[in-house]
Amino acid sequence: MVTRINIGPVHPSTHGVLRLVADIDGDTVVNLEPHIGFLHRGVEKLVETRMYMQNPPYMEKLDYVAPMSYDEAYVATVEKAMGVEVKERAQWVRTILLELQRIASHLLWLGTMANDVGQFFTVFMWTFTDRDRILRLLEEASGARMFYVNMRIGGLIRDLPPGFDERAREVLSYIEKKMKKYEDFLEKDPLFTERMKGVGVLSRERAIALGVTGPVLRASGINYDVRKDNPYYVYDKLGFQTQVRSDGDCFARYKVRMLEMTESIRLVRAALDKIPEGDALGMPVKLILPSAKNRMVTLSRELPRGECLMYMVADSQRPYRLSIRSPTFINLAALKEMSRGCKTADIFAISGSLDLIMGDVDR
Amino acid sequence: MKIERNEITQKISAMKAQGYSYLIKITAVDYEKYIEIVYMLRNMEQNKDETLEVDVDPSDAWIPTVIDQFDAADWYERELFEMFGVQVKGRHVERLLLEKWDGKPAPLRKNFVWNGPYETGS
Repeated sequence: MVTRINIGPVHPSTHGVLRLVADIDGDTVVNLEPHIGFLHRGVEKLVETRMYMQNPPYMEKLDYVAPMSYDEAYVATVEKAMGVEVKERAQWVRTILLELQRIASHLLWLGTMANDVGQFFTVFMWTFTDRDRILRLLEEASGARMFYVNMRIGGLIRDLPPGFDERAREVLSYIEKKMKKYEDFLEKDPLFTERMKGVGVLSRERAIALGVTGPVLRASGINYDVRKDNPYYVYDKLGFQTQVRSDGDCFARYKVRMLEMTESIRLVRAALDKIPEGDALGMPVKLILPSAKNRMVTLSRELPRGECLMYMVADSQRPYRLSIRSPTFINLAALKEMSRGCKTADIFAISGSLDLIMGDVDR
Repeated sequence: MKIERNEITQKISAMKAQGYSYLIKITAVDYEKYIEIVYMLRNMEQNKDETLEVDVDPSDAWIPTVIDQFDAADWYERELFEMFGVQVKGRHVERLLLEKWDGKPAPLRKNFVWNGPYETGS
């Protein structure tokens, strides 16, 4: 007999306001319908009514766990529409900040993922404190702890402060040490591995058909990363390597993100070694008189959660239309298929491994 | 690449046969005189992106579904219907996905005024 159960919209394991309606037969999921839209704020409409540089704060609230990444994606789109080159040093600084943001975002995901599969709050407390060390670095660089708004047309609002180099290296080696501890702690724990291995398998063919992106795509054996395939800033100078796993289950997605963090640490170190001297400041907001050079602009960026594609139709004063392809929206659409046939408790292992942010899903 | 509405299904199938097997996004832009539907496809092997654009009349806005070709089109087409009022023919949709707004005009059309009468109720 099929029973219908309702989960959410307010539930500790849904990471936001997500409602899941599950049809279960015994303990097996027959069908699962995600209901979204509780956090829909109409950002795509809102940006059409604001001037170009009034919009970055709204962009940051889409993905409130990795605000810097969205901020950068939007500003880069405007730069492309205006035909502005980013200053040499600013490109390096942006790469460093984006990779630091990626580590911070993945650390928060790791804690909540462990929570979802029953490792209650031990790992979460560790990763949350570690994430704060990175947020402190980003605060030094931008002046704000969570919503930075430090990208400007052609550069940044401020350069890296003196002594940032040493402090960043200190934090990175600390996190590197802690990463080993997390891996030992989680991968030797049968409670964690048995809930992750073989759960929510997404094959290579289905991953492409469903259009999933980011770590979810790479965990299914597809070697696609915007940083490698369509490199921006200085990623090609840093010898960036993609992290791919072929199993396609929750454990593979966990492993891909862990390896990505290690890779990000390496990238930040390499960028700190090679960063050139010079000017990194962007134009002051008041001096900008945007006139669109390219009316239609598409721009891809690899955010912590996957590929974000901005499609902008530019106007002289404000965006005529900005369409945001948010990574978690399409990843969540795949949840229905991934959770079919699994046990009820595994729904959260799978949705946790997708790294959902509801602000990003609903926009 | 600009195409006509009646060639959507055929063109999308042809593109898929050429290796454009990954659907990035289906979106739309309201140019008031016409609505432009944008299909973005990717060829993963050759690392190439292709865009297909279709113009439809705002008063008779509909497109055929491409869900048979791309499973990823499911939520994008539903979003398109709710945000732009573009009917998607050839598929069944049970409920609204994003907004619980069933009035007219559709929110992302240009005749939907920001902070206008539809939201304030005046």
